[in-house]
Amino acid sequence: MIWQLDFLFLILVLICALAAINIKDLLSAVIILGAFSFFMCLLWAEMGAVDVAFTEAAVATSVCTILFVGAIIKTTRRSKD
Amino acid sequence: MKVIILIFVILSGGLLIYGTMDMPAWGDPQSPANSYVSPRYIEEAYAKTETPNIVSAVLADYRGYDTMGETTVIFTAALVCAFLLRKNSDEDEDKS
Amino acid sequence: MLDFIIGKFNFWFYVILMAVGLFAMLAKRNLVKKLIGMNIFQTAIILFYVSIGVKKGNVHVPIIVGGHGHEGELIQAADYLNPLPHVLMLTAIVVSIATTGVALAIIIMIYRRYNTLNEDEIIEIRQKQLEAEV
Repeated sequence: MIWQLDFLFLILVLICALAAINIKDLLSAVIILGAFSFFMCLLWAEMGAVDVAFTEAAVATSVCTILFVGAIIKTTRRSKD
Repeated sequence: MKVIILIFVILSGGLLIYGTMDMPAWGDPQSPANSYVSPRYIEEAYAKTETPNIVSAVLADYRGYDTMGETTVIFTAALVCAFLLRKNSDEDEDKS
Repeated sequence: MLDFIIGKFNFWFYVILMAVGLFAMLAKRNLVKKLIGMNIFQTAIILFYVSIGVKKGNVHVPIIVGGHGHEGELIQAADYLNPLPHVLMLTAIVVSIATTGVALAIIIMIYRRYNTLNEDEIIEIRQKQLEAEV
């Protein structure tokens, strides 16, 4: 609950979100989404919500990224926007 | 089209930021969410469920049926994925 | 003034994050990009709910200090964080993963049928198919 640390993590989360939706390559976008989830997990641990942080690190950061990468391997990497 | 969407998103975001002016300050211990229901859970959870972790106590003891319904949701999602992604042998024979 | 900004800037960041997700859902034409936007949107809303339960000052995470063997001690509600938003958002995170999985399965089915992920191209192919049927 140190507001300077909170501010730093929120800036990093915002940069990751903007990069994930603006990059052309879908695989890179998904990896950046994984980094976004990881910073979100750090933010929750900093807020004191340790159970939510554990769940995010175990489920969203790993399983979600694996599902996205599997879907992109089965389809295509290229994107026009 | 993108300009219209951008204006719409900025307008809705501005409305939400205007709504935060009436919220209690971030981390206020006296805010309504922190002062009405949760003290009862914090004080009684350990005596009633013998679980030191209050989040686990509420998730598995107080809201056990809710968690059971959640597993039904996960099972349904897994079933839908399996049915959508299976190789349909009849369709393949028709194509080839 | 500085106290007001420190008390509110977290909420402003959540709103900006939600706006980024909403823009990606509405303006991007690629289906996977739309799904990434939906993930960002969901995370922003979960973040808002978790931040409601935060208490500033010298408070513990919602785990009873000492654990087993300290039954007689009095537990003060002001010493612990609010656990209820954490519980509800734990459920929401797991449901969001289930939603993402089903959406990705549907995207794979769309790619198998139309051989593209771009929304405009899918609509074009579909219109040509409808005209050929008539």
